[in-house]
Amino acid sequence: MDGEPLVRWYWIGDHLAYLRDLTLDHAVIALVPVLIALLIAVPLGLACARFPRLYQPLSAVFNVVYALPSLAVFVVLIPYTGLATRATVMVPLTFYALAVLLPTTVDGLRSVPDSVRQAATAMGYGPWHRLSAVELPAAVPYLVSGLRVAAVSSISLAAVGALIGRGGLGYLFIDGFQRTFPTPIVAGIVLVAALALVTDLLLILARRLLAPWAVRPEAAR
Amino acid sequence: MIRFDGAAKRHPDGTIAVEGLDLDIPAGRTTVLVGPSGCGKTTILRMVNRMVEPTAGRVLLDGTDVSELPAAKLRRGIGYVIQQAGLFPHRRVIDNIATVPYLLGWDRKKARARAAELLELVGLAPELAKRYPFQLSGGQQQRVGVARALAADPPVLLMDEPFSAVDPVVRAGLQDELLRLQAELNKTVLFVTHDIEEAVRLGDQVAVLREHGHIAQLADPHTLLTAPADEGVAAFLGRDRGLRGLGLLPARDVAVRPLTEGSRYNGWELRLDPGGRPTGWVDLGGPAEPHPAPVFHPEVDTLRSALDAAVLSPAGAVVAVDADGRAVGTATREAVLAALTGTRPTGPATADPGPQRPDPQHPEPQRPEARRPDPQRPDGLDERPVSTDGR
Repeated sequence: MDGEPLVRWYWIGDHLAYLRDLTLDHAVIALVPVLIALLIAVPLGLACARFPRLYQPLSAVFNVVYALPSLAVFVVLIPYTGLATRATVMVPLTFYALAVLLPTTVDGLRSVPDSVRQAATAMGYGPWHRLSAVELPAAVPYLVSGLRVAAVSSISLAAVGALIGRGGLGYLFIDGFQRTFPTPIVAGIVLVAALALVTDLLLILARRLLAPWAVRPEAAR
Repeated sequence: MIRFDGAAKRHPDGTIAVEGLDLDIPAGRTTVLVGPSGCGKTTILRMVNRMVEPTAGRVLLDGTDVSELPAAKLRRGIGYVIQQAGLFPHRRVIDNIATVPYLLGWDRKKARARAAELLELVGLAPELAKRYPFQLSGGQQQRVGVARALAADPPVLLMDEPFSAVDPVVRAGLQDELLRLQAELNKTVLFVTHDIEEAVRLGDQVAVLREHGHIAQLADPHTLLTAPADEGVAAFLGRDRGLRGLGLLPARDVAVRPLTEGSRYNGWELRLDPGGRPTGWVDLGGPAEPHPAPVFHPEVDTLRSALDAAVLSPAGAVVAVDADGRAVGTATREAVLAALTGTRPTGPATADPGPQRPDPQHPEPQRPEARRPDPQRPDGLDERPVSTDGR
């Protein structure tokens, strides 16, 4: 890339709409799996808290999935979900997010002090009612912490999807590399980072609204 | 009334927590279960609200076997207070207190109004209602815990070492508060503690437990301290139990002599400020600097406080004060001791018999500054010495 400047601003000016579409596509591919994972992790986590024997095998399965390289999983899925489809990228990302969210949900539900649990029981909460009304709200700071990790890593992993034809902003890296033209690469890095930053800030805001009583989320972790 | 009828708890692994307990908890009174850790006291407590199911025997609540009542319904009718308060961290104080009313289906407004009443009842400021538990001190959290237990006005209150986790000063305040509340509410309280001081302070009756929930002695606190059933109970009660027993007797039987008859003892004279409050004892034969005057309030204090004050007083006599701290009279050590045995001293024989240490070098009357009437004192008090030695 000798002589080629890092950024050619005219290219960015010419491709604003294109960059916007890629960013939105990237956000959907990366974040919808996190939401789906959340919807699965909460009931699964409640079940694990209610029946602790479930937790060990489930967390082992998700840990193994988490260890698999994303590209390999994409390729394995192509025959089922198709090349360059969103689903091929989103299914593995859902599992990765679940691998983060299930333990944080269970940890959060277990974070409730024993005295709180006993007090709830003594006041006449049944086991499920207590889980949903006392332990789940108390787990919110944990859930948000888990969501922050899951969302940011999902945004980063989604770019790999470009290698099988569906990676949102990841396409800019392949494009720039193949043409020895750094401008799209720089634009992609900046946009991925910005997307991660905005998502993270929104999640912090959500925690403040949902759990104003958790002043020190670090202490709750 | 709560009745334990042969109630026993054997864990699945065969260990015995409680072995065949028979015990009546009278309605409207405070019964304290006290014993070392592992004696089964918490297990006994939890049998009442079915957090522990007896493996043999029964627990009867007003004649009904609790195992026949649905657990949730039973528990909503029994207040429960535990050591760490157990407040819900995600709910504001007002909603923590209203927990059981919400569970009982009260509408939000009524439940919160009731919670606000209770906040006041347990001595917390109304502005705490909007706080979260983490914003309260340990003592405040414990008060909220008590308020929450009382929210639906349950006739029975179970308290499992509720004040063990706070420092001694706060604990004493919470104990006073419980005594005050109980005088007002007359709940059937079953209170568990490992602290014998707390037990004798709070209990109308105290059950001293041994391992497996065996009752070593069931008695009122004074009987317990003065007549322990056996060596084991005496050892558990610890040292100075005779003196501590005095802490349960009122001081009002101490014979108090009016100030006009007794303000001078053993060469010491009591001085008062213009408001009639004692400022100290002055050694008539020594420096003019007054020595602090220990006092007791006969209507409020215990014999232990009176005796303590008498022991500390240089004059060998203690000043009785009224609610405003004004001296109303004096009592000699002998008079305090006489109250212990239930007999009053007769006659004025204990009045100042004259200087205790006749010292030719420093005869008391030769120290005019010590005899000088206090100009701030109302007339009369100083001019009417009690002494019979003709000074």
